[in-house]
Amino acid sequence: MKITLDSISHHYGSTEVLNDISFSLSDGEIVCIVGPSGCGKSTLLRFIGGLERPDRGQVLLAGRPPADSLNPLTYIFQDFALLPWRTVEGNVSLVLEDHGIRGDKARAIIDDVLARTKLSDFRTALPRQLSGGMKQRVAIARALSVKPAVMLMDEPLSALDSQTRELLMDDLVDLWTRERFSACYVTHNLAEAVRLGHRIIVLSRRPGRIREIVEIDMPLAERVDRLAELETMQRRIWELMREEARAADMEISDVA
Amino acid sequence: MSHEVVQERAAAPVGAEAAATQVPFRGGGFRHRPLGLVSPLVFITIILLWELGSRTGFISDIALPAPSQALAALVDLVKTGMLWKHLEASLFRLVVGWTLGSLLGVAVGLFIGLFSLARAGLLPLVSALFPIPKIALLPLFIIWFGIGEGSKVATILFGTFFPTVIATYGGVDNVDRNLIRMGQSFGLSWLSIVRKIILPGAMPAILSGFRISSSIAIVLLVAAEMIGAEYGIGAYVLMAGALFATDQLIAGVALLSALGLIIGWLIGRAERYFLSWRT
Amino acid sequence: MFSITRRRLGGLALSGALAAGTMMSGTVMASAADTINVGLLSLTSHSPSIIAEARGYFADQDLDVEFVSFQAAQPMAVAIASGDVDFGVTAISGGLVSLAEKGVIKIIGGALQEYPDIDGQKILVSKAAHDDGVTTPADLKGRTYGITTTGSSFHYMAHKIADKEGFDRAELHLKPMQKVPAVIASLKSGQIDAWSIVPNIAGALTKGGEVVEIGKVADYIDNYQVTTVFTSTANAGDKPDLVKRFLAGFAKGVDDYNAALVDKTMSEEETAEIVAMIHEYVYADQPLEKADPRIRAGAMRINANAKLNLESVRDQLEWFKSEGLVPETASMDNLVDASFVETF
Repeated sequence: MKITLDSISHHYGSTEVLNDISFSLSDGEIVCIVGPSGCGKSTLLRFIGGLERPDRGQVLLAGRPPADSLNPLTYIFQDFALLPWRTVEGNVSLVLEDHGIRGDKARAIIDDVLARTKLSDFRTALPRQLSGGMKQRVAIARALSVKPAVMLMDEPLSALDSQTRELLMDDLVDLWTRERFSACYVTHNLAEAVRLGHRIIVLSRRPGRIREIVEIDMPLAERVDRLAELETMQRRIWELMREEARAADMEISDVA
Repeated sequence: MSHEVVQERAAAPVGAEAAATQVPFRGGGFRHRPLGLVSPLVFITIILLWELGSRTGFISDIALPAPSQALAALVDLVKTGMLWKHLEASLFRLVVGWTLGSLLGVAVGLFIGLFSLARAGLLPLVSALFPIPKIALLPLFIIWFGIGEGSKVATILFGTFFPTVIATYGGVDNVDRNLIRMGQSFGLSWLSIVRKIILPGAMPAILSGFRISSSIAIVLLVAAEMIGAEYGIGAYVLMAGALFATDQLIAGVALLSALGLIIGWLIGRAERYFLSWRT
Repeated sequence: MFSITRRRLGGLALSGALAAGTMMSGTVMASAADTINVGLLSLTSHSPSIIAEARGYFADQDLDVEFVSFQAAQPMAVAIASGDVDFGVTAISGGLVSLAEKGVIKIIGGALQEYPDIDGQKILVSKAAHDDGVTTPADLKGRTYGITTTGSSFHYMAHKIADKEGFDRAELHLKPMQKVPAVIASLKSGQIDAWSIVPNIAGALTKGGEVVEIGKVADYIDNYQVTTVFTSTANAGDKPDLVKRFLAGFAKGVDDYNAALVDKTMSEEETAEIVAMIHEYVYADQPLEKADPRIRAGAMRINANAKLNLESVRDQLEWFKSEGLVPETASMDNLVDASFVETF
């Protein structure tokens, strides 16, 4: 399944947040979107997920999602968005219940995704008992349970400390190596972008325009051992962004 | 001036080397320790002082009856079996009035929390009606609901309805919008989002609303039983007041207070059960 | 010092109305004339004090009167018990007897009384009950009867009716409604079947057609002493002179009231003057033209010289005891100080 963004523009009130964004996302590809704060990265992701409508332009889906996909476009949130009153398995079963999957069938799926995210021992734990990294793994397990065609990841590692972030990045790479999911990954952290992205879309400051699209032609699994090369790449992208980021930092934000 | 201070500070460690002293402790305090025995002790002391005051005549018989007299009135109630009659009548009114008021309140609160039209239409109405003392409407309630159980239940119902509405819609407003967005992003139906995300998310606010509304219900019990009530703790208190039987008055008030404590304890249990997920 | 503490403590615990009363009047003794506080309810039966003040009868007794208004008889009784108000007029209720038993108030004279030759309190039933066959007080058996509170004069009247008609007191289902307006509302809407009340209120109700008169209270209670004058035990015991002067002024007010409104021996001009005085405190929320007929209608006799019908008071006390509303030990001696007025 391929997603194409066709000249997306958007305003919040009188503030223009996005201007003429076009790119596409293919099967099995991870596209990272980076940019200074307030450039409309998360807004763009909400358009792709159909949670908001752009003023102009459209998001197009080409091809059918896999037949067994319950929720083709599935989000991973920065703040995990777990229901605090449900256990780990309860949080996963939440998204299955509405598809009429209950009982044994649901249990099989839950067992499977918890095993894949190494959470099998924590089925009955409540979110408050889990660390940040564990919570995000639960969110990932929940996303996997609906067999997404595309994962829409909104700063998924930003609320975690740097060590947990490392661990989870490794987990994501492992997962991708096995599942070959496609993802649109929004972050402000360039190290994450160069570790996980096949392509990196660099946005300018508000109103967000595409400054550059950087292709990284290095297999994800190898990247952990070739950090020096990535470092160079990261520095190059930072050079592109530095002035914009400085300017963005001085702005008074009136956009949520 | 500031220069001197700096010099003094700089000199301090040199002196400290000669005779090391411990860093003065400046933390502590501002934290509550559970002291389980204190509250019963305070309670017993006050009652003992009260009894002593009454016995010696320092507290006049007109001002306050002795606790022992109030206790005797309570014993009379138990002996004659009237206690159960009064309790039965009052509990019925409390349970029915509070349950209906709370159910309606949660329903209307959800409506206001979920639908803009309901918010625009009902919220001003709720704000306008909430501060009306229900006691002022008593004569109208008599005509609308009769002097039987209707007007009594209605008084408690109206009294508990409004705080519950306000607690509920406030709770709905405070549900993390991200959780709702998450539900939408997973394609949950509207009803599922309300039932599985909004309602449990608003539960802490609803339960603390229950705490307030149950106290209001007890306060209103006396008002409700002003109208043609033969039995009931409120009617008993009113009768004691009319006859100036202060011992019975205190006994009745103590019963109301005990009732409040029991209900508060029950709601505490409910909170522990429903809100065990909270940190 | 000790007694002041006690009184103040009592005052604090008894009622908020007391504090208000103290603030309004201030119990400072004037050097020239004695200042006294007189409790008032907005009822025509409180007219003698109003007239006595307006016409200077209290001033003649060297009394400086301050009126303190109350919404109900109960807080007024409490205010007198605490000493914040000196004199009041009200019906004998369980609360009053209770306070007298505690040794803080005393009945010192009589006021409103039923006389066979003067229109007195009426027994009323709702239209619905009347249509249902309640046309005489004997039919009240098994019916609901409105009272304000347990131990009120309404409660007493209801039981006296039951006693004389020969059915069990419990056969009359009493509904305490706390306040007169609440009783009126429920009688009009047929929520309760019956009630008894003074003629001027009864007249206004029966005129509307929702309420029907079926009898007179006077047929059930002989020479019913409806209201009495009372004061604190301290006043009665320590300041008999003050009490006598108050009663002397009060009695002149009574004479004017009876002459103007009951016997109607006064000139119309003077009567109108009296009505205008009363209007200052009674039906004050209505224009004089409207209040005038209401004040004049159904005035009941107030005993000349505040004579007290001890027999009626004793009957009421016995009834309170029989219902267990006051302690078994309650006595006439504690309730009445008969040294100030003629009794019969």
